[in-house]
Amino acid sequence: MVDVAIASALCDQRVSIDLSVDVGGLKLRGPVMAASGTFGYGTEVPLLERLALGAMVSKGIFLRPRAGSRPPRIVETPSGMLNAIGLQGPGVDGLISDYAPQWAQWDFPVLVNINGESADEYGELASRLDGVPGIAGFEINISCPNVEQGGLYFGNDPRAAAAVTEAVRKRTDLPVWVKLTPMVTDIGVIARACEAAGADALCAVNTFVGMSIDLNARRPRLSFRTGGLSGPAIRPLAVHLAHQAARAVSIPVVGIGGIMRGDDALEFLIAGCAAVQVGTATFVNPRAIAQVHDGIAAYLVSHGLGSLVELPRYLPKD
Amino acid sequence: MLLVDAPLVARREVARGMFVLTLEASEVAETVRAGQFVNLGWSPGPLLRRPFSVYKADGERIEVILKAVGGGTSQMLQMKPGEMISCLGPLGRGFDLTSGPRTVALVSGGLGVAPMPLAARDARAAGMQVTWVHGARSADELCSEADGDEVILATDDGSKGFAGTAVNAVPDADLVLACGPNRMLAAVAMRWPDAQVAVETYMGCGTGVCLGCAVPLVRGGYDRACKEGPVYRAADIEWSMLPSHLPYAISA
Repeated sequence: MVDVAIASALCDQRVSIDLSVDVGGLKLRGPVMAASGTFGYGTEVPLLERLALGAMVSKGIFLRPRAGSRPPRIVETPSGMLNAIGLQGPGVDGLISDYAPQWAQWDFPVLVNINGESADEYGELASRLDGVPGIAGFEINISCPNVEQGGLYFGNDPRAAAAVTEAVRKRTDLPVWVKLTPMVTDIGVIARACEAAGADALCAVNTFVGMSIDLNARRPRLSFRTGGLSGPAIRPLAVHLAHQAARAVSIPVVGIGGIMRGDDALEFLIAGCAAVQVGTATFVNPRAIAQVHDGIAAYLVSHGLGSLVELPRYLPKD
Repeated sequence: MLLVDAPLVARREVARGMFVLTLEASEVAETVRAGQFVNLGWSPGPLLRRPFSVYKADGERIEVILKAVGGGTSQMLQMKPGEMISCLGPLGRGFDLTSGPRTVALVSGGLGVAPMPLAARDARAAGMQVTWVHGARSADELCSEADGDEVILATDDGSKGFAGTAVNAVPDADLVLACGPNRMLAAVAMRWPDAQVAVETYMGCGTGVCLGCAVPLVRGGYDRACKEGPVYRAADIEWSMLPSHLPYAISA
């Protein structure tokens, strides 16, 4: 609430603060993006709430439509939530016909989060979507914990991560970002493999795999058994992993994990991230992205910084 | 869809452990329709908002009804008048009361009474004769507030009214609207396929983006209780795949 008050007072000054960033081949008007799976296809959110968006990453899709997982799909946990949605979605044809034409009208870029059961499927998706008006780039999802095939598997292994990245890279000149899983021993190894395979940026991190047990039913609360943990509960873990990834590579890293306010985003930015994605916060507060954006602006102003580029970073290189 | 800070105005007990909270939220009160819900959050509170059907709406105020079923609802019941609740709504698609039936039965079990006072209001405004059918496990769990041209109460243990379930106590009506535990609604679907039922699911955002409130459909696939629902034609839901109870939240 304090962030909002400061930001409102600064409204007239906001034009003088340059929050634009260059991230992996895209020029963004601001550093705050909507994370995949937390903003739908952008069509449910009132236009007013999109004004602060640097970019949007669409709900993840596969080539073919998917029904998603049986309910219960989400459960709240201390300072977080577990989800196992199962990548419910319309498939590539539905996305091209129903959503891309709308995105083409918007004044911020939309990246499509792509998923597959093999490197070939990722490549085919990139081929199908490359050149479709309204699609500004790709976020390769090698980190979804909630699908039986693919997903997390590719994110665990540097060779598989590189193979998927390369399969997409070969089929498009659009920006290719790779969303990393936190469920690895050394995120730097995966990050370097994706960079070497041609990624323009990395997104760190996707959800942590978690589990919650219903004591009455004596079984998992989620029908999928496990789910992806998000929210403030993972923030310190995510800041660390994003920092580790940023140290390991020279391409930009987009920080993700439990960002609720401007100060949270600033932790990721100072830890070496070029930009951030906001996810679970949007579920709680439809204005979260605007408030994070305004909170960053207020911090820069109060510290005498004229642009995000001037923000000092803590990023000793490996 | 509005996002407003709504001060808590009052609280009253309408059955053992069942309370009505009155909130000041004039824009929501003016626009809400029967069967729609609000997603409520407060600070400090749990991470996620909590969805509630709007129980009554009058002038500048809305009401919701709840029991302490977990940490979040327990906190809500400890709040004092004047404390602020963030109210997102009205959300979802409510009951359709436009098709012109002459009589309507409002069938509720336990907390399923939640959307019924507004349904009675809107049905009466549409010229319908309203039969209020409300059931609970026992007399002390029956909601003490009822609104119908005819009121039928039912208890599982027979301690008040009809001995048995609310579903079994329903007289003939042109239209049936129902809300209650999912297994009760499954019984409604067997008897009145065209009934309109308001389902309860665990919910994330309430605004259609998280896909957490999936409702399995007979035609295959899922849609969202918060957008296409929470009111459905009873026979359209694949009841065998909808959990009969919810995985209530854990608070930090």
